[in-house]
Amino acid sequence: MRLSLYQVDAFTDHLFGGNPAAVVPLESWLPEATMQAIATENNLSETAFFVREGDATFGLRWFTPVAEIDLAGHPTLATAYVIFRFVAPDATELKFRTMKAGSLVVTRRGEELAMDFPARPPEPCTVPPSLASALGKPPIKVLASRDYMAVYESAADVASLKPDFGAIARLDRMAVIATAPGEGDVDFVSRFFAPAHNINEDPVTGSAHCTLIPYWAERLGKARLKARQISARIGELSCEHRGERVTIAGRCVLYMEGAITL
Amino acid sequence: MRLALYQIDAFTDRLFGGNPAAVVPLEDWLSDAQMQAIASENNLSETAFFVPEGEDYRIRWFTPTREAVLCGHATLASAYLIFNRLDPERDRVAFQTRQAGLLTVRRLKEELALDFPAWPPHPVMAPPALAAGLRSVPQEVLASQRDYLAVYEREEDVAVLAPDLAVIAGLDRRAVIVTAPSAGDVDFVSRFFAPASGIPEDPVTGSAHCTLIPYWAERLGKMRLTARQISARVGELSCEHRGERVTIAGRCVLYMEGALTL
Repeated sequence: MRLSLYQVDAFTDHLFGGNPAAVVPLESWLPEATMQAIATENNLSETAFFVREGDATFGLRWFTPVAEIDLAGHPTLATAYVIFRFVAPDATELKFRTMKAGSLVVTRRGEELAMDFPARPPEPCTVPPSLASALGKPPIKVLASRDYMAVYESAADVASLKPDFGAIARLDRMAVIATAPGEGDVDFVSRFFAPAHNINEDPVTGSAHCTLIPYWAERLGKARLKARQISARIGELSCEHRGERVTIAGRCVLYMEGAITL
Repeated sequence: MRLALYQIDAFTDRLFGGNPAAVVPLEDWLSDAQMQAIASENNLSETAFFVPEGEDYRIRWFTPTREAVLCGHATLASAYLIFNRLDPERDRVAFQTRQAGLLTVRRLKEELALDFPAWPPHPVMAPPALAAGLRSVPQEVLASQRDYLAVYEREEDVAVLAPDLAVIAGLDRRAVIVTAPSAGDVDFVSRFFAPASGIPEDPVTGSAHCTLIPYWAERLGKMRLTARQISARVGELSCEHRGERVTIAGRCVLYMEGALTL
């Protein structure tokens, strides 16, 4: 069996920026063991598989090199990019049915693709004493949702962090988001550390913005925000706070198109 | 610019086995920064680039973070591509390298044979951290210039090892090879841990056999040996000890062929 395989850089307007994802269009679902083997072989943070179910409705599943996961932002953006470009060029809105994250809608807005995701506002929490030492610099404030969110005074503080990943991995939440106000046209910056999931630092993290957007929308008193994730590869995100939901939008660049033979 | 990109599983006769390498044939060299960016984007242990030079080729290898001095499995994968796609009339190809001399590969029936230097191991005083890092006391410890070689009594001892990779990373050599006689149909088995180079466990390691072959040839009193690297993906190698040189042979399977756009 021959399958198409695309590799797309998501949340960037230039090649080698953003977060790379593999995307595999399918006629019908493969056995889970086969999808897992493909994702392991690709060795990117996620490989997305989709099956067309209607004109603009698609089933969507995501696999890391070790397991299937419930929700992933950048591979969803990358999948929408592949569908708008190669599968359904006349569509303006796509609906993805997922196993555990409900339906996800992606709309085309000029050069950007916009994802409709749940808001996960951060709340006050008990701060483990090891968090500040694991980050190497004490934050001015710590909140939490799924992840800890450490707020710093300046973008330079966040840029200079060199975390102790062993200590971060031992914390009681999945990951740590570090954030600070942005500069120029950027409202806020962030970085994302998830060593317990074998990702010391993620280049761009859609799901972290489910938490970042409500926080910065309230703090800055504006619903539309421009965000930059200041990892080595850098991600650019256009955000909107809409109460229970958030919009996370960005661009994609095609790196590679190929074919695999099973 | 559009470039061909292949992903090949080396040292295996089945898809998703062996060690995956990316291979990019070039007409002329790209800049070092471009090759590094492609290797980072691919995120495989090595991406090989080669350019025609005289009758043969010049090869360079990049990990996701830096250029490599020598890489066996990506060389095998590059030769597979030349023999099967680019120049099928050949049965021998030579690669000039920057730091590893001239590497030749011959086509045998089903296998491709690498001609590599022998790096025989010598007895050493084992640092106490070695057994602690392996969480199991080896029968014997030797070392090449590059790696420790920890010898166990039985294949089972090697199969069950679950090393403390942080301790292994702190040792004074680049990596640890563990080996034992085979319980099955080959002469010896091995595994390879190089956490200090960003590789917790390598699926199949050609260069480790530069050290394993002289050791087992002397111990078993035979020049031709079959080897299995018992990682999760499993590698199969046919070996020969030839004094200053060793032959390391194996098969390859093509996973993906594609095109990238710079």
